[in-house]
Amino acid sequence: MTPRIPLPSDELDASGLPDTSTLAPRLAAARDQLRRAAFRMRSVDAVTTELVRIRNARHQTCFF
Amino acid sequence: MWLDGLPPGDTDWDRFAASWPVPFGALADVVVAAWDETDPVLLELCRLRIATVLTYPAEQARRTGRAAAAGLDEAKLAALPSWPTSPRFDARERACLALAEQFVIDANGVTDELVADVTAHLGPSGCYAFVQALSVVETFQRACLTLGIESVPDVDDLTRPSPDESQEVPR
Repeated sequence: MTPRIPLPSDELDASGLPDTSTLAPRLAAARDQLRRAAFRMRSVDAVTTELVRIRNARHQTCFF
Repeated sequence: MWLDGLPPGDTDWDRFAASWPVPFGALADVVVAAWDETDPVLLELCRLRIATVLTYPAEQARRTGRAAAAGLDEAKLAALPSWPTSPRFDARERACLALAEQFVIDANGVTDELVADVTAHLGPSGCYAFVQALSVVETFQRACLTLGIESVPDVDDLTRPSPDESQEVPR
């Protein structure tokens, strides 16, 4: 797939995606931290987790 | 509030953030970074349109201090629903609003032309940062809607994690 904006380089990252690390680097770093924080959230209890899942499904109009 | 046991706080956001400081602090950092990387007036216009598309009245009513400080006034905001034709909006703002609405309604429907139009005004790195910021604002609003968060502090008052927070915070 051809990128829709000119990129600083043709390099690909470890996932094979275009390297955008030099574009908005602070935002990229903050998003990475959020991913890590979410991944580490293993101790939310099962009832709260299920309530959030159902609320999100309703909000997204998902009936599965 | 649908979730029992949240501690008191000035806003719904603060009450959730007090219970889960690490993930909410990380999300706050992302939101702040999005505002830091983007023209505040452009992002505020888009934030309000996203709130309209997602049917989020509380976010529609809220105002961002950075945008007001940059000159965005209520007269222009009153004309926001008619941004495609209102003379209050210039070509740059229209390009960004068009991309923002399509992004939220159906990201797969974002065309090369929509991206090219924004890139022509913001440049490649500006376009990249703008789209990243749109994604952050949409994620933030969807998360708040799911969690029933009606009141949110202004971007510069969002709860941030303290350095000594643990890596995982059980509740």
